[in-house]
Amino acid sequence: MSPRAESTSTGEVHEGQPLVGRDLRTEELVFNMGPQHPATHGVLRVVIKSDGEVVRSLEPHIGNLHRSSEKIGEELPYYQWLPYVDRWDYLAAMNNEHVACMAIERLGGLEVPERAEYIRIIVAEVQRILSHLMAIGVYGLDLGAFTPFLHQFRERERGLDLLDHIAGARLLYHYVRIGGVKRDVSKEWIDELEVFLDAVEKRLPDYNTLLLHNHIFQERTCGIGVIDREVAVRWGVTGPALRAAGVSWDTRRDAPYSIYDRFEFDVPVGPSPIAGVAGDCFARHWLRVREVTESVKIVRQALGQMPEGPVMARVPKSYKPPVGEVYVRGENPRGELATYMVSEGKDRAYRIRCRGPSFSNIAVITEVSEGLLLGDLVAMIGSLDIVLGEVDR
Amino acid sequence: MTNESDSQGSEAPPEDPVTLRALALLRKAHPDAVVDAVTTGRHPYIEVTADGLCDACLLLRDHDELLYDCCHLVTGVDRPDDQQIEVVYHLVSYARLPDDEYRKRAEKNDPWVALKVRVPRDKPEVPTVSNVWTGADWHERETYDLVGVIFTGREELRRILLPEDWPGHPLRKDWEFPVEYHGVPIVPPEAQ
Repeated sequence: MSPRAESTSTGEVHEGQPLVGRDLRTEELVFNMGPQHPATHGVLRVVIKSDGEVVRSLEPHIGNLHRSSEKIGEELPYYQWLPYVDRWDYLAAMNNEHVACMAIERLGGLEVPERAEYIRIIVAEVQRILSHLMAIGVYGLDLGAFTPFLHQFRERERGLDLLDHIAGARLLYHYVRIGGVKRDVSKEWIDELEVFLDAVEKRLPDYNTLLLHNHIFQERTCGIGVIDREVAVRWGVTGPALRAAGVSWDTRRDAPYSIYDRFEFDVPVGPSPIAGVAGDCFARHWLRVREVTESVKIVRQALGQMPEGPVMARVPKSYKPPVGEVYVRGENPRGELATYMVSEGKDRAYRIRCRGPSFSNIAVITEVSEGLLLGDLVAMIGSLDIVLGEVDR
Repeated sequence: MTNESDSQGSEAPPEDPVTLRALALLRKAHPDAVVDAVTTGRHPYIEVTADGLCDACLLLRDHDELLYDCCHLVTGVDRPDDQQIEVVYHLVSYARLPDDEYRKRAEKNDPWVALKVRVPRDKPEVPTVSNVWTGADWHERETYDLVGVIFTGREELRRILLPEDWPGHPLRKDWEFPVEYHGVPIVPPEAQ
């Protein structure tokens, strides 16, 4: 229930807010958004203290999806722990596997065959395209536009089918393995992949007509929920939200892992030239659209360069990396996923720590949401594109 | 055990320039704070005292040649054999981008630095760095929640992932599965 704070909004008029007028007496109200709420994208509970329609302060409560994957990692051998990694950011399972496998391989100094590296890049970038398509479509849904959501699902289904063909699963693949990937890709699969890339490129302008260049969409997102450069860096915000704030950092380019240094691609940085300011909801949305194009470029280059050869290194049945530690980070669709792993020479890790990008990305709303209208808070959370599986791990 | 990359000959392993530079500046400004340092290999780090942690972090954040403006991750590692808990901080800089030369030289290929603090297991108190980097706030709460490290000098250290009344800190090595939680029986993994 609300604490009976004697606050009135007399003399305090917020821009674009006709309902709270000069003579209307309001009082602070504390209420829950979530844990079951379509706009929180999962089981996130936000306790909001509001004055009328204006958010005064809020406190996110997380942990509803906590499955203790770090604890499980201490109990299971490395290869048995890998499937749990898929469940962190379940919209980017391939990227999670990639980073986790790199950490385990670096602990033991294991070299991955050339062709496997290329396949890893290809599936990771296809996954990034699918994840961004989802983010783009669902963001429309958050703001009341149902059509783009259905449009993106058409392309996304195609992409999921592609990954299904090589991994045997639609969402949680367990395809990237310690030392390589599960199985090779065929010529037919590559042909299908090229058809998919063409379709994505052809359809992107359609999405942009529906959202990016839509006047209503721009009104809802431009200048709303601004996370500026200083705030973003201080809170550890990464990924599209950081770049939208004007920081030109992409781990793939600036601290290249795997074989990302072999590809040419642009790193778009906010603000968007179309509308809005740096770090607002519009810039974050625009950036994802731009990144889809860049991912398509990377996949095409990787397909062109990919050599023939084995896709799996010789890994001993009982893989026991020597005593040591590693810290590995990679660019996931939602930001920088990082893993700190400590080995004591056993077949399982002594300690595994995962940095889920969404964890830091959602923490920032405690600071930046003050003064937002409730409807804009939905736009704000949606534009951060969090996945709760990764926040809670 | 395959370990190809470690058997590359007897020449000295390359030093990590990023950690070396941070170490030199730290030793100059706060000589008492630095306990130990590892500057080679895949995971170089600087070990500092708990008392000197805040000074070290402020220097790493504010010095013009360092500018580590983001605390990427805070980790607690329980070491019951040494009766210690390690708290590890991974710091990155977005203000200063790495040069190409660095990538060729360093084995870890990635310009982060790591700080370590070792505290006794029965009194695991570490001063907070959430006033240096706001983003460390939630990471500290998680480290308290799962490993039981007490961060001092900050407001309300509460659990973040587990329920308020959850027994103990699960990532301690001697943590035991509770028999039940609010009437729900819990089956430990070895019995499943």
